[in-house]
Amino acid sequence: MNNKFLTISQAAERIGVSIQTLRRWDESGRLISIRKKDTSHRYYKEIDIDKFLNNYVKNLYKLAERWAAAEKSSEVPADYYCKDISVFQGRLTRLQNDLGKVYRLNKIYPLISAITGEIGNNSFDHNLGNWPDVPGIFFAYDLNKGQVILADRGRGILNTLKKVKPELSNHQDALRVAFTEIISGRSPEYRGNGLKFVKNVVVSNEIDLKFTTGDAQLTIQKNDHDLDINKSKIYIQGCLVLIKF
Amino acid sequence: MIIYLKKFGTNLNGRQFGKESYSAFKPSLRDVDKDENIIVDFAGVITFTPSWADEFLGSLNDEFKEKIILKNTENPSVQATIDMLEQIYQNKFKIK
Repeated sequence: MNNKFLTISQAAERIGVSIQTLRRWDESGRLISIRKKDTSHRYYKEIDIDKFLNNYVKNLYKLAERWAAAEKSSEVPADYYCKDISVFQGRLTRLQNDLGKVYRLNKIYPLISAITGEIGNNSFDHNLGNWPDVPGIFFAYDLNKGQVILADRGRGILNTLKKVKPELSNHQDALRVAFTEIISGRSPEYRGNGLKFVKNVVVSNEIDLKFTTGDAQLTIQKNDHDLDINKSKIYIQGCLVLIKF
Repeated sequence: MIIYLKKFGTNLNGRQFGKESYSAFKPSLRDVDKDENIIVDFAGVITFTPSWADEFLGSLNDEFKEKIILKNTENPSVQATIDMLEQIYQNKFKIK
């Protein structure tokens, strides 16, 4: 049995959060430290940190959902946070390379990488200079489960599309427009077509998509030409996306 | 002229990167003769997306139109992106 102890700074580094966050988690009971007295330094059993990290990985979607839905932003492990587009680009290339090693995906992995790129880049392109609180996106994947998860705390689809379609009044309609209406020509709106591409790819391949923004949730899968858009259980100010394959 | 897209990378995504790629390549386009075709070769590209393509191929398309010929387009993300651009631009690319 592993009885090794870690200091709070070692534990913080291993998880990818700050020492302050670990102190807060200790007080709230989320990840309890070991201390001789209330005033002593905090220590953690290495085995407990490993268990905690495993739980994180098991619940990547929940982790992203919690971050995207919280009124105030919480910290996420550094491995899953892309503070700017260059970090995202680097990790997207790593995803492309990792997907390329999965035999069952050898025909469609460029498409998974491409739709992940379009969704992630959309978050940056539509929120640059306008992030309501935290810039950047959550981006994680678990190839054993066949999942890519993306989230942002940006302005959401409705607020973004309202700039070119002021008549839009609710998240469901905004989501439908984003995924269906082709904006022709290269001006004045250069950006409107990434999600249509995502839809075209999903309906033609063994890929499922769940996309939540505001109080609207869209699910699409292969051959699903009619979009299924419902009220979401949780309100997401920006976007929360699950790609399954 | 032949443009080998893999020289820009294997993962071509994002408007910013597409814009930078076109700006970097633009000076080379001055060498194109009046009647010369522009062959865009996709060999070696793994991930190709409409956002990168709109900035690069879209700009190329604005300038050279029917002189553009696409080559080695078998990759599924290349095909899906070309389909998308054809819908947006409402024209068909020539494919070798």
